[in-house]
Amino acid sequence: MSMADANDLGLQEYSVETAIAVIADHGATLKVDTQHLRELSFRIGSIFQFIGELNIQPNNEAILQARTGRNVDGIDLDLYYQSLQQLRQFQAKHMKNATT
Amino acid sequence: MDQRPLSLLHIHVKLLGFSLHSITPWPNNPSIFYLNGKRISRVEILGVVTSRDYKPNKFLRFTLDDGTHSITCILWLNHLTSPFFASRQPATLRVISDWAKCFADDIQFGKVARVRGRVSSYRGDLQVTVSDVFIERDPDAETLHRLDCISLGRRCYFV
Repeated sequence: MSMADANDLGLQEYSVETAIAVIADHGATLKVDTQHLRELSFRIGSIFQFIGELNIQPNNEAILQARTGRNVDGIDLDLYYQSLQQLRQFQAKHMKNATT
Repeated sequence: MDQRPLSLLHIHVKLLGFSLHSITPWPNNPSIFYLNGKRISRVEILGVVTSRDYKPNKFLRFTLDDGTHSITCILWLNHLTSPFFASRQPATLRVISDWAKCFADDIQFGKVARVRGRVSSYRGDLQVTVSDVFIERDPDAETLHRLDCISLGRRCYFV
């Protein structure tokens, strides 16, 4: 999921030639190879959700090879992050109970 | 007042992928599973369609990824030809078959799908036999499903 404040939010760059997108989230950026997602419309500043394989390049740079992607403009990001926090707590407790 | 614990057997239990993969089969019946000691048979799950294996007039097998696990789903498309359904009324089968074809069209790579169905085991792996599909367009659908599952887990499924 990419996000952040007004200038650091969502899609930062997109190259039509290479199909490489750069997304930002809380100041961190990630390159996403979108060559398999040609039907997706890339607009700078929009928020996208990608699922794929993370490849680490020889120079230690990570590129997400996206298998799926979708525009999620309008998402409530505060609620999204709170739900992830709740999920981590829930998973930690649930998995601990499952092993004891 | 009836003090028996709430039965989850005949309702669609909202589960995240990692919880679904923690259930264990009930020895006496292959269509019933244990979730934290409670018997369940039906689930409601939601996730992004990350694979799709379509065999026309036979089945659509697909996976949903909800960020905690991938879940294999099977949507049967052979209602009009399989002897398994022969005891059902032809008119009913036609309706079910038409719905299944609509669901198969809806399930496309990258879409977010809410699926209801029966849990089953196939070659040792869990899968959901689909009875109902709804394609979510609300960008908050995954978040809200996640919170629903956590809330129900804390209040009901894992108490």
